[in-house]
Amino acid sequence: MKKLVKLLFVGLMLLTAAGLVFAGGEAEEAASGAVEGNLEASLAIDVSVLTAADGQPLIKLGGQTRPVPERPADPSALPETDPLHWWDMEFAGWNSVKTNIPESPKDGAIGKRIVMIVHGDHPWTTACSNGAQKVADAYDIDLKIMSPNWDLAVQNQMIDQAINERPDMILLIPLDAKTAPQQARKINRAGVPLILFNTLPSAEAMDYAIAWTGPDDFGQFRILSRLWADALGKEGGVAYVQHAPGGSPYFARCFGPISELSEYAPEITVLDKQAPGFEADKTMQLVSDWLTRFGDELKGICAADDSAQALGIFEALSKAGREDVIVVAAGNSKVGMDLVKDGKLYAITYQTAEGDGALAVKTAADWFNGLEIEPVRYLPQHMITVEDVEDFYPPQW
Amino acid sequence: MRKLQIKDKQQLISTIDKNRIFILFGVIFLFMALFAPRFMNVFNLTTIMRTMSLNATVAIGFTLILVIGQLDLSIGTIITFAAVVGLGLKESVGFGLSVPLAVAAGGVVGLINGILVAKAKINSFIVTLGMMTVLQGTIYTITGGNSISLSTPDAFAISDWLAEMFFPLLTPRVLITIILVILASFGMRRTRIGRNFYMVGGNSQTAWLAGIDTDRYTIAAFVISGLTAAVGGILFAMESAAATLNMGNSSLMYVISATIIGGTSMAGGKGGVFKTFVAVLTLEVLYNGIILFGLGNEVKIFLAGVILAAVILYEAYTSYRREKVLGQRPELMKELERDREAAAASSS
Repeated sequence: MKKLVKLLFVGLMLLTAAGLVFAGGEAEEAASGAVEGNLEASLAIDVSVLTAADGQPLIKLGGQTRPVPERPADPSALPETDPLHWWDMEFAGWNSVKTNIPESPKDGAIGKRIVMIVHGDHPWTTACSNGAQKVADAYDIDLKIMSPNWDLAVQNQMIDQAINERPDMILLIPLDAKTAPQQARKINRAGVPLILFNTLPSAEAMDYAIAWTGPDDFGQFRILSRLWADALGKEGGVAYVQHAPGGSPYFARCFGPISELSEYAPEITVLDKQAPGFEADKTMQLVSDWLTRFGDELKGICAADDSAQALGIFEALSKAGREDVIVVAAGNSKVGMDLVKDGKLYAITYQTAEGDGALAVKTAADWFNGLEIEPVRYLPQHMITVEDVEDFYPPQW
Repeated sequence: MRKLQIKDKQQLISTIDKNRIFILFGVIFLFMALFAPRFMNVFNLTTIMRTMSLNATVAIGFTLILVIGQLDLSIGTIITFAAVVGLGLKESVGFGLSVPLAVAAGGVVGLINGILVAKAKINSFIVTLGMMTVLQGTIYTITGGNSISLSTPDAFAISDWLAEMFFPLLTPRVLITIILVILASFGMRRTRIGRNFYMVGGNSQTAWLAGIDTDRYTIAAFVISGLTAAVGGILFAMESAAATLNMGNSSLMYVISATIIGGTSMAGGKGGVFKTFVAVLTLEVLYNGIILFGLGNEVKIFLAGVILAAVILYEAYTSYRREKVLGQRPELMKELERDREAAAASSS
């Protein structure tokens, strides 16, 4: 038996050695997809006719870009309540110095191979992947989607594996803004074109990517906060249920409104801000504590999530018999839209999950087609209230 | 072919039992090599080695913890803590000092765990669960909820160096892991101190009667666990050029699974670092292949669960079998059976 085990090991070693010698370093040639007329055929494809599950246009480009103010010399020196303090995060990518970006092959998107690496398994991700697939199908792009399930080591592994496959493009949702630069740099150094999407990475990561596409989280929350402040009569104490620390939504969905309201409604005071995670019971506990601690002083709550967090908030408010607290959140899940419809949630942001994935693939297709790509492409901005919530049914996730 | 005798059968079962992780690794590797697209090339195999580095390093200390019959739930947060300390201090003191400080921080956390378990006689599950929570709070407090990144040329240079393949399948970080695994394996099997850990885990009372200071060994195991978790964490953070606030979260369950799959008994007194290392490699090969096949995360979780369940069931079965035949001499039993048969034949 010992001999058998030894034999198995020797066999494995031989197999490994053979693999290293014969297949070593050999990466499959990227499918060029470059055939005569491919570019023309690709350019003729119109994806603006595609719709998301909620009946909204899958892709809506243009007209959503906000004016970019001039960058202060040292944004971090400004107080957190100053909107310009967040310049590097809010406008990441707009002043990026592109490094070693490959030239567009200008041979059309049809037949290209794209690897899309998302952040983890979630109903939102499923909707996002569906949107990406719809555009990929329209262009006949071979789209492979990988999910590291929120594990950084696995995402790094997937990046390596994607590079090994030598695709025509990698689309990446960085798990963390701060780890994105090295991830983007690695892909860039391997010579694989990269588009970052969804969560905002640190500004340095933008240097190594063709573009970033996704929601204008800061912009959306600046609009949402004004709507919220108007409903609050521009006064009173408010609290923030934050996103998971680390990513851009953590800052955009809390400090976006705080900095906006410091100018628009300075009479509104921040009572507290906490990140309880995405479990309804933990959020309920947090909000119950706030209600005990602040009592009637608490007039409004801004949540980073309109599903589990929103459920927890309304559970706590209902137990305390508080119907006067005005709640806004980032959306737009089924739970959130139902709460808006019921008149509980005052407003949510329209954040199309399908559109997020679709926009990334569309931008990749535009690049293959040789079109000009802006460094940042935003999803459409819109606030959903009880007045127009019906337009967004059935929900995407 | 000669019919297998009882002794041969026992030897066969024993050999399979002893080498089951190697057999499992061989089968999975062979399957992936033959069927998974783009599996057998230097880049992919190096990716596997690079990915296993974090958990393999952490698993060294964790194996020692299981061998002494304890549990350390704080390893995941020690990974993050060391990464945050190491990268957070880099700007002020440089990597030359921040890395040793990060590793020392892991050692100190392990020391506190060890003292509470050995001296205060608190269950290690409770102690390390508490430590995990305390560390999480500490990490959030010192970082203010922000990840730490080092996008400077020197940090990128070190990151590139750690990830650079200087020999097929080997990067400096992988080499460090392999050296640590070899040292720990050798230390545990070939030195008196190493073997004493098995005695403490196998039967601490007997170990104490044999003159072994069991408290000291318990504390030492927790310190080593803290140190290896910190080494894994800081190296991973340096290669990523960033420390995120949850970078060690997924390691805890992974390392526990790998250590058990590698044959280390949760009851203590049995196991080995090298087998744990092979178990980590096995899981990495499996996960890598799943991604190459284009299968989803749910398949990965399912298969890892199936392997773990199979190993636990097998452990339970072997333990039951051992209990059943404890003290029995199969040859004598067979002889007795033959005598009975002969007596029955003659009487009829």
